[in-house]
Amino acid sequence: MAKIAIDPITRIEGHLRIEAQVEGGKVTDAWSSGTMFRGIEIILKGRDPRECWALTSRI
Amino acid sequence: MSTVRDDQSIWEGLSKKGVSRRDFMKFCSTMAATLALPSSFVPRIAEALEKKQKPYAVWLEFQDCAGDTESILRATKPTIAQIVLDVISLEYHETIMAGAGKAAEKARDDVVKNQKGKYIAIVEGAIPTKDGGIYCTIAGRTALDIAKEVCGNAAFTINVGSCSCWGGVPSANPNPTGAVGTGEAVSGITYVNIPGCAHNVENATATIVHYLTFGSLPPVDSHHRPLFGYGKRIHDNCERRAHFDAGQFVRKWGDEGHRRGWCLYEMGCKGPEAYYNCPTVKYNSGTCWPVQAGHPCMACAADHNWDAFGPIYKRLENVPGAGYQTSADKIGLGVAAVAAAGVAAHAIARAVKGKPKDEEDK
Repeated sequence: MAKIAIDPITRIEGHLRIEAQVEGGKVTDAWSSGTMFRGIEIILKGRDPRECWALTSRI
Repeated sequence: MSTVRDDQSIWEGLSKKGVSRRDFMKFCSTMAATLALPSSFVPRIAEALEKKQKPYAVWLEFQDCAGDTESILRATKPTIAQIVLDVISLEYHETIMAGAGKAAEKARDDVVKNQKGKYIAIVEGAIPTKDGGIYCTIAGRTALDIAKEVCGNAAFTINVGSCSCWGGVPSANPNPTGAVGTGEAVSGITYVNIPGCAHNVENATATIVHYLTFGSLPPVDSHHRPLFGYGKRIHDNCERRAHFDAGQFVRKWGDEGHRRGWCLYEMGCKGPEAYYNCPTVKYNSGTCWPVQAGHPCMACAADHNWDAFGPIYKRLENVPGAGYQTSADKIGLGVAAVAAAGVAAHAIARAVKGKPKDEEDK
């Protein structure tokens, strides 16, 4: 029973980590994590609603 | 992506890939123009690129949106994109590299180890400092840890886009993750800031070409921004400036003034306080920029623009020379101020032009 981790996953936009449980050459379970957080929703609170598109388009 | 750099010069590499001599010389001319150098420097830039080998480069992505990566990859003329990517030997770039996981990390570690002090670190995205830097990790290491190692061992660092320059979007109030720029996160490094949201790839490339041609980084302002790109005010180079001076303003989206391309000052344009070569270099391979498209400038290349210059659609207060709010006498003063700004811009241009000459004497 082995657990493998691939981090970073490349050729995607953003930061991604995949962990997989391997048993007898087969993946029996897997986990994914986004490993970057900026808190855009928190930043949007209380702002002029007209400029929210400009912040969220930069996700 | 090759992990072994070709031992041929930049021009030889380009030539092998089918870039014509004419396109190469056009590229050298564009670089001289971007660097605010006279055309007499074109042969010198060409000579440097003919002789120099590609420097190794590592592109780090932290709290980013990959917009600055797009800036490089979306060049519409294939030859220009090819040249930009061929001026450097990009050994590590998460979004475009073939290897993943341990193979990717090895490619980066190899450059840091084998090219110590000789490679260029390019950083896209902010670095979170709150809670031990846990808000951005790659292969289990924090962005802060990676930046310290990679930027700390580089010849110099180029921060592309506002996020790596001063924190950008993630650092907007209340800055939930304690996001800062590379210069603040890693002390003691040599760096140049190429802000913009996204940055303009011509400015980043021109900085590298300056380094290859003159052996030094271009002169910078107090925000570490090259004077060639950030020494002139947007308002003074704006194609809609005549409408500002004439008091012709857009007052509502889609009104007659908007359809006629009048000044966007009333709609919140930050051009009167923003310094950037956006109106001249432009985006999308030099075809357009926000004001040309009918949207006010939001000072994306200025420190903490989201809070210092926001909200985007709020009109700037106390901008001298806005025709509709001044008497004829005051307009006269405004014209004098414009002339003074022109003299100042000329002085900056002379300072930039003067630098390489000094170095030539060495």
